[in-house]
Amino acid sequence: MLKINNLHASVEQKEILKGLNLDIKPGEVHAIMGPNGAGKSTLGYILSGREGYEVSEGQVEFHGEDLLDMAIEERAHKGLFLAFQYPVEIPGVSNMAFMKESVNAIREQRGETPLTATEFLKKAKEACKQVQLSLDFLKRGVNEGFSGGEKKRNEIMQMILLEPSLCILDESDSGLDIDALQVVANGVNSQRDGKRSFIIITHYQRLLDYIKPDYVHILANGKVVKSGDASLATDVEKEGYAFLGQDNAEEKNA
Amino acid sequence: MNQWLQQVIDRGQAIDDWLSPHRAQSLEALGKAKWPNRRVESWKYTSLAPLEQLELSPGSAVGEAIIEDIEGLNSLDLVFVNGKLQSDISLLVLPQGLHISSLQDVSVKEKNTANALFSKIKPQRHLFGLVNDALAEDGLIIDIDANSKIEQPIRIINISSDGQESHHRVLVRLGSHASATVIEHGQGEQASLSTGFAEYDIGEQAYLEHYRLAMHTHQAIHIGGCHFSLQQKSQLNSTLIAYGSELSRMDVDIIHNGEHAKAKFNAVYLLGEAEHFDLHSTIEHVVPNGTTKENARGIVGDKAKAVFNGRIHIHRNAQKTLAELHNRNLLLSRRGQINTKPELEIYADDVLCAHGATVAETEEETLYYLLSRGISRSQALVMLNFGFIQELVDQMPNQHLAQWLKPQLHSRFVEMEVK
Repeated sequence: MLKINNLHASVEQKEILKGLNLDIKPGEVHAIMGPNGAGKSTLGYILSGREGYEVSEGQVEFHGEDLLDMAIEERAHKGLFLAFQYPVEIPGVSNMAFMKESVNAIREQRGETPLTATEFLKKAKEACKQVQLSLDFLKRGVNEGFSGGEKKRNEIMQMILLEPSLCILDESDSGLDIDALQVVANGVNSQRDGKRSFIIITHYQRLLDYIKPDYVHILANGKVVKSGDASLATDVEKEGYAFLGQDNAEEKNA
Repeated sequence: MNQWLQQVIDRGQAIDDWLSPHRAQSLEALGKAKWPNRRVESWKYTSLAPLEQLELSPGSAVGEAIIEDIEGLNSLDLVFVNGKLQSDISLLVLPQGLHISSLQDVSVKEKNTANALFSKIKPQRHLFGLVNDALAEDGLIIDIDANSKIEQPIRIINISSDGQESHHRVLVRLGSHASATVIEHGQGEQASLSTGFAEYDIGEQAYLEHYRLAMHTHQAIHIGGCHFSLQQKSQLNSTLIAYGSELSRMDVDIIHNGEHAKAKFNAVYLLGEAEHFDLHSTIEHVVPNGTTKENARGIVGDKAKAVFNGRIHIHRNAQKTLAELHNRNLLLSRRGQINTKPELEIYADDVLCAHGATVAETEEETLYYLLSRGISRSQALVMLNFGFIQELVDQMPNQHLAQWLKPQLHSRFVEMEVK
């Protein structure tokens, strides 16, 4: 589904990704862990197409097509979804209007008929319930005055409504208490259907207690330095990222 | 003497009615007034040339006016066509505590006090306020008795038609503990001139919900004002919605004459094509403990031009004043123009004051968020930029009015985007 080959990317002339490789097949859940500044969020931004990131080398293939060649909205149409680490507040645009516009834009691209207001409301209500947000949140401005946890749950609600094929969760666990963390994890788990794939970007192993990844990758200094199964996350939790020191040193010497 | 002004004075002098003693004062002031040019600060960015070029005849009502019904509003409508009141007040069923009289038909008692009635709240410095004093023969006096809560909104509609001139004035007095909603709704698009000035005397602990819909477009020149005097512990919640025409200008004065009064004033202007709109607002904190929140937001596209001047004047005695004024603008085109200037004049030392004015283009990060959800760039721009003003429309206490306005503002905005 997603193939990243030797990806090099920089922001403001500073190289952040330095030859990243990743291969994600349908239905797989990949966790990407790593210390601050390793380039985790950058990966999410580049995949979703945020401006200001310069790809100097490498390819990204999504459903067999060149992802890097697509406009931001086109990537969403093809099934890519990024749950933001810091969702933007948009006063004056209701959450409901925003999500309906978004769902129907994507449906239109898939050749499906747009949902009517009533059909959409029904779906939105269900999704609201699933992430345990009260219906008031549909009427409010997008993320306007939402707490950190409410914003993260609002992201998961959008993910549920948009039915993407690849979900990238950028630190969706940061700033959450244990209850909110479970809501987010349940939201994600409910969407695992053997076809939909996930990239879970996280600093801590905590979220992975609730969302069992198939693979764990450690990202450091712009590339994947170690890959393994779920047990790798547990090792990191015990030992921290200290073991990377050696690898990093080697890389610098190389 | 400017020719246009001289014409106004001559005509004003020829009118002989019960308002004449009051009119004489304004005519005298007009005689001394200087015709504003670009060197006069309050008219620096607004040219009066379109007005001087206009050929007009004093208004005469033309045909039946078509008044759009606002769903659910259930308002008490008073309709002026070209400055002449068309509604027959005697046929209206007025709620208890509400009294409305036309200037053409006021009681003998009021007639004896022409000088005491008008221009008590409206400051003399507004040149077109004086022009309105000189030429307006029709208008309304609306009284709300003390303790009366008038639920039904009062809508004053002012329609300008081709080649016509109209001048009307409104005086609204709310007794203590009274409350009311007044909507001033002006419209017209053909070559015309209208002046409309309203004065509001908000009594102790009274509450006024107020809307001014200045929807004159194209060649319909409109110059008007709303002037509010707040008595002790009274409250004002006012919203101005403005389009632009060849020349549109609005002067708003909010004067805190009694302590612990609260004023909220939101203004939205949405200008396209070659429209021009100028808003000058002045907040006077004369006494201590007053609160004012003013929020003006505008979107300017095409070759349109917006002028905003927001003044807060806190007098020496007005300690513990809380005053906030924000003006935010979005410029959609390189040819559009926005001149914005907040002015603070503070003579008291224990006050909390905030002000700010910005002109911006759409924020990239917000746009990215919408695009990442599959929304097209053009649709995202419509949503975002419209959201910017919709926020203020959502704050309007009257939801029927807000629901009626939203699609109109939206389609106006979409048209601007396409061009």
